[in-house]
Amino acid sequence: MSVVQNTSEKSKWYLPGILTGMMITMQHLVKNLVNKKQMTTLNYPEEKYEYSPRFKGNHVLTVKKDGSLRCTACMLCATACPAECIKIVASEHKDPSVEKFPIHYEIDILRCVFCGYCEEACPVDAVRMGPEWQTPGVTGANFIYDINHLAYRPNLKGGILSHVDDEERIKSGI
Amino acid sequence: MPKCTINGKEIEVKAGATIMEAMYQMDEAIAHYCYHPGLSVAGVCRLCIVDIEGNPRPQIACNTAVTDGMKISNKSDKIREGVKWVLDFHLINHPLDCPICDQAGECGLQEQYMEFGKYDPEMAERKVKKHKVVDLGPTVVLDSERCILCSRCVRFTDEVSKTHELGIFNRGDRSEIGTAEGKELNNKYSLNTVDICPVGALTSKDFRFRQRVWYLKDSDTICNGCSTGCSVKVYFNKEGLFRVRPVVNPEVNGHWMCDEGRDIYKFVNRDIRLLKAKKKTNSGEWTELTAGAAAKEASGIAKSAGADVALVLTGQYTNEEYEKIVETFVKDFKSKKIYHWINNKEHLNDFDGLLIRGDKNPNTKGLIGVLESHSLTSPFSNLEADLKKGTVKTLVVAAPENFAVYLDLKEKLSLFTKAQNLIWLSSVKNSDLDDMNGNIWQIPMKSYIEKSGTFTNHAGLEQKFHKVTTVVSESLTLGEAAELLAGKNISVAVTPTRETFVEADRRADLVRLEHRKKNEFVYKRGSL
Repeated sequence: MSVVQNTSEKSKWYLPGILTGMMITMQHLVKNLVNKKQMTTLNYPEEKYEYSPRFKGNHVLTVKKDGSLRCTACMLCATACPAECIKIVASEHKDPSVEKFPIHYEIDILRCVFCGYCEEACPVDAVRMGPEWQTPGVTGANFIYDINHLAYRPNLKGGILSHVDDEERIKSGI
Repeated sequence: MPKCTINGKEIEVKAGATIMEAMYQMDEAIAHYCYHPGLSVAGVCRLCIVDIEGNPRPQIACNTAVTDGMKISNKSDKIREGVKWVLDFHLINHPLDCPICDQAGECGLQEQYMEFGKYDPEMAERKVKKHKVVDLGPTVVLDSERCILCSRCVRFTDEVSKTHELGIFNRGDRSEIGTAEGKELNNKYSLNTVDICPVGALTSKDFRFRQRVWYLKDSDTICNGCSTGCSVKVYFNKEGLFRVRPVVNPEVNGHWMCDEGRDIYKFVNRDIRLLKAKKKTNSGEWTELTAGAAAKEASGIAKSAGADVALVLTGQYTNEEYEKIVETFVKDFKSKKIYHWINNKEHLNDFDGLLIRGDKNPNTKGLIGVLESHSLTSPFSNLEADLKKGTVKTLVVAAPENFAVYLDLKEKLSLFTKAQNLIWLSSVKNSDLDDMNGNIWQIPMKSYIEKSGTFTNHAGLEQKFHKVTTVVSESLTLGEAAELLAGKNISVAVTPTRETFVEADRRADLVRLEHRKKNEFVYKRGSL
């Protein structure tokens, strides 16, 4: 191992370097005091950064017009998931045009790698990745999201409506 | 014996064979839906078209007999184009249900579409709406929109089960499969219609929506539901076994199997299995211990009994296991008290003419063979007399795997507990035995999918099968149990629990099919 030591005459003149550094610091201090909006840092827990709406954060299960889940339990998201964090139990629905629906949809968010494959695989726009990303929890169980959390958590305000509608599909005869 | 050339290869077929049979014979790929080697020829799907030299138009392979010197090909562009258009006609009214269709992943339409599909449909009209989720009977659900009217299921009920329940009703694009008024698809072979359905129109109620098929592994084994010994495939993943389907075996079952046999996976899954050995002495409480330890402990008891140890065998174990345990008893215990517990003597030779036999044990013939080779012929009534006299000190019972077919189980149990010590070798939990008093050891056994061995069926045909998976890691085979009881030191392989099944977290369904009105639509013949 060798350490290159700068022993030149020039290197002994350190004071100008320090003063230049202090000057830049003072410049920023003054700039931030005068124009607070320009500041690049945040007071994190109080202030939060807003990502773009396309940010892939925590999952959302969309709902139909009547408020029931859009998911048909086809399990394509669980199949596409590289982290194997989605668990679905399907069941028979009362309405024959719906036929299959999930009675149990769980995402283990600690295993999730936020790759977005589930969103891409979904044929009916039932699972989306929303802009939320700060979701602390106290125990492990807080990180396993069930249907109640994924579709009806309070900040979704009653659920997000899906683009794909069964009624329209049936009317257009597909 | 006519000779023909198929895709440039010459082949000799038996007289009267069709082109399809010739193609099956030489493993040549050909698209088809309605043709099934176990059924008659219908020729309705028109997908199996082939080019015959000298013939201006394509012919269907399933209904054209091979003549001498015929030159056949199905690789030409003309045929590909033809199949593509026929397939597109099939898909005119077929719904885009694949995400919720149980057949997705093993669907004939999907397979052919990947190869011949016309990815740009030109139909401007709306699809014809038909009935969805029709409850056909106790086992099968119909979705007529998905049906492509290949008529395999109709031919099955006409030709194989001969119950004539299904038929095609209405005309043209409104044709639907259905049952006649007041009738339901209810026969002992009804689930075969689900197997032969090339699309997801007929689905089994038992398997419906429980797993996607691509999550399942499969493995060949022998059905242990009765003495016919059908070749079957079990489908499983780490959550358990999910379904059983027949495998073609012309010597035994042909293409079919019965509905009862499809339930055999149910007494293999962990929820009803004996997971740990347990013992109860002097009418105390049950204490759990490992299978190996329990067998060792029981061996002391068995040995102290000397020649007063008796063995009861049932016809649900393999030939190798019988050989081992009988040999151990004759040589090590010097006991000739080995008895065959026959569950339903009066129905033993029943046969329904197709597959189902009255003897609900897979290996009665094998057990009788082993007992005869050791010239052990004492009848079961001797044991009953001995037990009533109280001369049997230790009784070892190789209990059946499928308790449901042992109707005399409870009375036999109260008889067995008359012995001073009862060593109960069983793969399945038994709540009746748990309530009984006496010195009882329960030792978990391997079920038929967890071991390799041989079953001898009713006709004396010896069929080998191989281990499929591990369900209960601690369980023993009958051979291992015999050696441990004899006090021998053997090493028993225990699979780590993480490699065995994990119990599925299956909640009770919120809605069941029973809620739906039975046969919600019915047809009347002649009402058109």
